[in-house]
Amino acid sequence: MYVDWHRQEIIFKIIYYGPGLGGKTTNLEYLYRQLDPSIRGELITLKTREERTLFFDFMELDMGRINGKKPRFQLYTIPGQALYQHSRRILLRGADAVVFVADSQASRLADNLNTLVDLEEKLISLRRTLARFPWVLQYNKRDLPDIVSIDRLQQSLNFLQVPAYQAVASRGVGVIETLKGVINLLLQA
Amino acid sequence: MQENPPLKRTVFSETAFSKIALILSELLKRSQARLVVFADMNGYPIVHRGDIKAQSLSTLTALAAGSFAASGEIARLINNESRFRFIYQEGGVYHTYTCSVGEDYFLIVLFEKQVALGLIRLLTHQALLRISSYIKELQQSTERAKSFLDYEFRDVLSRQLDDKLKTRSGS
Repeated sequence: MYVDWHRQEIIFKIIYYGPGLGGKTTNLEYLYRQLDPSIRGELITLKTREERTLFFDFMELDMGRINGKKPRFQLYTIPGQALYQHSRRILLRGADAVVFVADSQASRLADNLNTLVDLEEKLISLRRTLARFPWVLQYNKRDLPDIVSIDRLQQSLNFLQVPAYQAVASRGVGVIETLKGVINLLLQA
Repeated sequence: MQENPPLKRTVFSETAFSKIALILSELLKRSQARLVVFADMNGYPIVHRGDIKAQSLSTLTALAAGSFAASGEIARLINNESRFRFIYQEGGVYHTYTCSVGEDYFLIVLFEKQVALGLIRLLTHQALLRISSYIKELQQSTERAKSFLDYEFRDVLSRQLDDKLKTRSGS
């Protein structure tokens, strides 16, 4: 978080983390399409030729003045592929909160868990840990046929009992709720 | 969540802000640059001089921080250095010169192609030496950050989220 007393601004950095092709960029794309242009900036995406996130996606939300102060939220996605280990650590530096976007499909259960372990490893290398860090879970792709039950996902991934949201990011279901949830958690921290 | 997390808080004092703003104003004038920005390695713009929209400024510094981080990884792979000291990007109309200021900050200069790179490098180096002397003054106590994030502000922001994050379809 960065506080600028001169401009009375506070900027928070929120990271969307999760396995590759889990829907992190889709969350930001929905927010970009649906939020009023007066509160959101451009969506910057750095993609490979195969349309996979190469380095990060970035979008800023500017909430206007509240009690004379101006909160801004910088939303980043992190590339999910194993290839981009270093990018993930770099982008996690200075993060204030994380949205972990899990893929609900049964075939991705192990990927979800591996990526969550990867997140914890990266946080530990930055002298932080999931147990003392604001983060929420989003169980995405709830509209697909071969999905794992919420109970099982909760058992596998939500061992710290953080707020969890069901979503179909491609249709916008649960996207705003997840964002509100992580911001509220951030404000309590 | 088991307990409140120890968040890293970076706060800049009014005095340090003014001193750095003055240095950037001088740099802008002497170099005839279009824009100069002092930002931190997390991508937060701290002080700038020159014309740019606020949201474009944030995007510029986020991308520059990413670019700096990526170049740091390249440096680590080939040289075992922590990062390159500067990045120069040459465009058709404008060039950018980005250099690190200590470990945690960087300076971006956007200038027209008619301006000599050597002049930009010289003036930027002088500016960053002066800015470096104020770095310690920049980081203020956690208590000041807490006072910015007071209960009333958190409460009002939290209550306004529904209204602020309304979608175009009204949901």
